[in-house]
Amino acid sequence: MMPLRPGETLCLKGGRLHDPANGRDGVVADLWLRDGRIIAAPTTPADREIDLGGRVVMAGGVDMHSHIGGGKVNLARTLLPEDHRDDPVRASPLELASCGRCTPGTLATGYRYAEMGYTAAFEPAMMASNARQTHLEMGDTPILDHGAYVMLGNDEQFLAMLAEGSDFKLLRDYVGWSIHASRALGVKVVNPGGISAFKFNQRRLDVDEDHVHWRVTPRRVLATLARALHELGIPHPLHIHGSNLGVPGNVESTLATIAALDGLPGHLTHIQFHAYGQDGPRKFSSAAQRIAEAVNAHPNISIDVGQIIFGQTVTASGDTMSQVRNAEHADPRKWLAADIECDAGCGVVPFRYREQSYVNALQWAIGLEIFLAVKNPWQVALTTDHPNGGPFTSYPHLIRLLMDKSFRREQLSRLHPEVAQHSELAGMDRELTLNEIAIMTRAGPARLLGLADRGHLGAGAAADIAVYRDDADRERMFATAGYLFKDGQLVVHEGRVVATPAGGTHFIEPAWDRGIEKRLARYSERHLCLDFRNAAISRDELCQCGSGRLLPALCRQEAA
Amino acid sequence: MNEIPATSPAPRRDDGQADPAWTCPFCSLLCDGLPMPVAQADGSLALASGAAADNGLGEDAARRHGDCSRAARALAKTGVTAPASVNGRPVAHAAALAEAARLLSRARRPLFGGLATDVAGIRALYRLANDCGAVFDHAHGGAVTAGLRAVQDRGSFTTTLAEIRNRADLIVCFGVQPAAKAPAFYQRCGLADPGPRELCFIGTAVDPAAAALPNLDCQSLGCDGDLATTIHWLNALSRARPWPGAATAPETWRRLAARLASARYAVLVWSPAELVATHGEAGAALLIEGLQQLVKALNRSTRAGGLALGGDDGSATAAQTLTWLSGLPLRTEVRRDRLDHDPQRFAWQRLLARHEVDLLLWVSSFTDSLVPPETDLPTLVIGHPGLADSMRDRAGVFLPAAAPGIDSPGHLFRTDGGIVLPLRPARAAPPAPLPSVAATVTALVAEVGSRLGVGPASLAEGGPT
Repeated sequence: MMPLRPGETLCLKGGRLHDPANGRDGVVADLWLRDGRIIAAPTTPADREIDLGGRVVMAGGVDMHSHIGGGKVNLARTLLPEDHRDDPVRASPLELASCGRCTPGTLATGYRYAEMGYTAAFEPAMMASNARQTHLEMGDTPILDHGAYVMLGNDEQFLAMLAEGSDFKLLRDYVGWSIHASRALGVKVVNPGGISAFKFNQRRLDVDEDHVHWRVTPRRVLATLARALHELGIPHPLHIHGSNLGVPGNVESTLATIAALDGLPGHLTHIQFHAYGQDGPRKFSSAAQRIAEAVNAHPNISIDVGQIIFGQTVTASGDTMSQVRNAEHADPRKWLAADIECDAGCGVVPFRYREQSYVNALQWAIGLEIFLAVKNPWQVALTTDHPNGGPFTSYPHLIRLLMDKSFRREQLSRLHPEVAQHSELAGMDRELTLNEIAIMTRAGPARLLGLADRGHLGAGAAADIAVYRDDADRERMFATAGYLFKDGQLVVHEGRVVATPAGGTHFIEPAWDRGIEKRLARYSERHLCLDFRNAAISRDELCQCGSGRLLPALCRQEAA
Repeated sequence: MNEIPATSPAPRRDDGQADPAWTCPFCSLLCDGLPMPVAQADGSLALASGAAADNGLGEDAARRHGDCSRAARALAKTGVTAPASVNGRPVAHAAALAEAARLLSRARRPLFGGLATDVAGIRALYRLANDCGAVFDHAHGGAVTAGLRAVQDRGSFTTTLAEIRNRADLIVCFGVQPAAKAPAFYQRCGLADPGPRELCFIGTAVDPAAAALPNLDCQSLGCDGDLATTIHWLNALSRARPWPGAATAPETWRRLAARLASARYAVLVWSPAELVATHGEAGAALLIEGLQQLVKALNRSTRAGGLALGGDDGSATAAQTLTWLSGLPLRTEVRRDRLDHDPQRFAWQRLLARHEVDLLLWVSSFTDSLVPPETDLPTLVIGHPGLADSMRDRAGVFLPAAAPGIDSPGHLFRTDGGIVLPLRPARAAPPAPLPSVAATVTALVAEVGSRLGVGPASLAEGGPT
């Protein structure tokens, strides 16, 4: 299809709209597009029409937590050439060569997401010191809009200020400056204080334990960051990778983390990895029901699941403390870690999740239990924490597991036999509806990120529109979009990429007091190895990184 | 963190806007915050150490970097100008471009070598390779590959400059005197800051630049021993379970192993290029694997990190950029429908020697020191005007290009991994304005595309590339 010219209208006729943000659950209606936006039906006839004949129509998918670019992702690619060798390039005159299953090249990342009907993905763990690389990689990810959350709470500057008892306003300004300097859309905290503590040779850090050097607790880090974001009016709540990832019994840390927020908004990411009890003969059990109860009882909390998918993947995380602890499980037996710039760190450990492993099979069941036990789908985003639980290309399979209980039971029956006994999953009959999937894969994430014109199909929204053929096999249905429009341009037709526009960069520009810069410059001079004048990325530089369009988001009005 | 006494920070403008500051592109330390280089009568540039004190800008950085011999040498060549040429005859830029496109579109398997350029240059070359096919290897591909193979086989445990500055109490250099490669090394990673630190050199004498720093306690543990044996001993002595043979180890290595284990944060430093020079590519890969294994062993009980001093001439940048675009690292053959990575077969020296390629596109934009290698294949050179001489008597095309950080902006990766520095032009008016490598290659993409009739795929349509 030739691109629409300015002012031309396109009518998508007769699709079944799953548009939960606007209360439309499978209603048959026409959608009108003009100049990259969805518009109300005009009185004049359409310049072009496509008859959708009852196909399912949703907003373009929004993946709010997917490691698509930056230092650790590229290290993961470097570590696993075999993963890439096994994935032959798909010949296409419109695609440039790019490959990889667990951590595809940026080009393949864009193409594969688009084929599934996604139009945005967000890198959740951007180190400020690695922000340029992250933006360069996202800039080379075609079609998808993108953005990133800057990691705070392990940078020595922040911990020192907290330890010194600095005025909260200073800390808030520092958070504001960090978002500005790294061109982030939000803030993520990873193992609060723990990455730093590991640099001082501390190997564990629970929510109320002291950092061995700075003598601050993760609880204080969490509370400070959550309050700073709230006061700065950042729409996305503090994005939290909690303490004690992967440790049996870590449900207690996770519940303590929720309590530490004291009612302020927080997003607990890949919560599956933080939902473990230590009951039963193997001292490893599901705490999914306790987690779900907590989420149901705390409307200030949202989560994404980080579902694991059986097979080979690679875990790439900023949580050096946890990754080094888990490195003995590396499969294949190689791994890497790094301490980075008094800012954070990273660990990359390949994993093969096995159906016959009790631990892996229970992790799988825990993830699904959480999906099914949380009542309000607006609080849950569908993720595998790509690539940590599994590659994003397994989303269609995950959707089928959630929508089809007989398929789910069949899968469960293939697993380590004790898992069915130690998990509630076998008894859970809930099957998610198309509307609930639309919430978890687009409407919910867009709302959690404060993207008012994404994730829905109302007039004024960006014309990011995915059309699927209705199919009882939901895996097949969501594997390829029949049509995908990105800002009104047809980019995928019948599962094939037909255009590769550059994606835009979502970021946010909060207000903060520039007085903080003098202090930061002094700190930089004394402790860092980068001139402070190079600390911030300008808008021009963001464009050089490859951003097709700058998409600044707005802070909430009531911000202090 | 170790408390480091304050140096007085350079004054900054009240509005917090960046003052003009320069990042030196000539080694992989990428010293930044320097005063802009100063124009010389012959059209070249020179480091502005004196000027820094005058205006208060980057005083500290200038002090650290002011006498960098490597930067001074490279800047002295920035006044050279040269026209484009075909078969050694000067021609208009457009004519040279057309000839380059003609040769490229006839080639069956070009080698994209040199690759001394910035992120934008590699992006454009990747686009071009998707049309005409090409094997990518960097001029320092041997050094890059030695480190890469160690990672691919076992992984790594690394650290960065600011971590060294704030934590390292023991630094052990294996087969390298860092300042010989990167003159500002000690200043750049804070080892010249007041405060005691221990430095050991193995396989070399004490680096004179380190010996000159009063706060460093330096010693050499021998120049003649075999590095491989040393690394084996240190690994054997650093095992998780005590090793019964420990008593048979030489006293020097027993003492060093004990010191490494008692250090708060030990840093092992090596230079892949030096190790390749002394041990060959495969030997260097094994040594690096042994060093990484040692760092991992130390991290079982204390903290430690490795630092590879490498990535010069944009080699780290080429490796990173190719990896994220394609999914595969350097020494990969790129075609629209196929990617093939082979760290041994695709060494550029081997490909040229065995005529497994039929054209050489050599990119070298920072200095004139990476000259195109001898070959009887048609050769296209994009880069520093000082390379024009090397093409005077050769069949092929020379296209002069701007150096990133001198006459064009750009992005480069520092030696320690994920730190990317923005480069700014050092002067507004070069002696002869030149397009960047990225612009030159993008023009080639258009010319080659029209000859081959290839499709419109791009990294990102409408994007700046």
